[in-house]
Amino acid sequence: MSSKKARHTKDDQFAFYMDLLSHDILNNNQAVLGYLELVLASPNADKTVRKYAEKAFSHVRTSTILVENVKRLMATRVADPESLRPLDLRKTLDRSEKELARFFPDKSITVKLTRVPEKVLVVGNSAAEDLVMNMLVNAVRLDPGEAVELTVKVVETEFRGRDCWKMTVEDKAANLPPSLKDKDIKNVYLMDSSVAVKLSGLLFAKMISEMLGGDFDAYELPGNGAQLGAGFSMILRRAGRP
Amino acid sequence: MTSVLIVDDELFIVELYRDILQLRGYKVMGTAFDGEEALKKYTACPDKPDVIIMDHRMPIMNGVEATKEILRMNPTQKVIFVSADVLVEKEARDAGAVDFLPKPFRMDDLIEKMEKVSNGH
Repeated sequence: MSSKKARHTKDDQFAFYMDLLSHDILNNNQAVLGYLELVLASPNADKTVRKYAEKAFSHVRTSTILVENVKRLMATRVADPESLRPLDLRKTLDRSEKELARFFPDKSITVKLTRVPEKVLVVGNSAAEDLVMNMLVNAVRLDPGEAVELTVKVVETEFRGRDCWKMTVEDKAANLPPSLKDKDIKNVYLMDSSVAVKLSGLLFAKMISEMLGGDFDAYELPGNGAQLGAGFSMILRRAGRP
Repeated sequence: MTSVLIVDDELFIVELYRDILQLRGYKVMGTAFDGEEALKKYTACPDKPDVIIMDHRMPIMNGVEATKEILRMNPTQKVIFVSADVLVEKEARDAGAVDFLPKPFRMDDLIEKMEKVSNGH
């Protein structure tokens, strides 16, 4: 057996065990959610109990998102490069924009598409689609205002000698977390746990992008008045290019 | 009263569904821990359940195979698929499941789907 084949087999085994573990965690989250629903529906639950149950509910949801992220990382890590399909970032962007309002029913969100071609084909998978949503959601989340305006651009670029598309999402009124202002995302990726512990979502985005042959970054930009804005950029390889 | 057959290999999940569905006024007419047991119980019961809640990843026979077999016997049987494997949704729907819920979900969402299905929507 070649060393490459052996490595694939080991990766496959690891992915298999991770998948089983993730499955068990999701099943347990199901039970916790279900019984919390019973607590919330109980006539004996007073206001304080309800408040705590709601908090637990929210944490189970977050736990589920984290497990899904682990699954996506595994799926992308062991993905056969041949299995990656051309993904139209423009279509993903349009779909994500529509879904955004559902995530933030209390905010009025405008997404300005500037310089976004009609077709933006990249090498990707479902995890790459999630990253688009991830960028939009995080930009909105970092904006304290009720009316949010995001600017999205997609431009051609070259990264590590390959033709790529670079998508940026910027919000002039958003605030990056202080930990990102002190140390840039590269420190997060260099496994500085003092930074990474608060930015695992960003680390996830960076890892997925790199596994797909691209890159991810978060940065500050000149904003309105004294406030600085926040931007996210993602680079992915152009489909059909060497 | 809407009757239900619960199929899931995890005892604690079966107990959860049973506890909540009974509290909400559903008749849990049976439970099964794998697809094959579900088939046996389904074949044996003279009155078929209004809805089957079907998991996918189970020993002996998975949920997709069990759904296909049950629908071969009774094409009008309503099966709601519930699974932590979101990638199996298409396969489940192709097999004939009327709906799909990714785990974990709110029991209220399951009950809403059961109401729709049992009312013929």
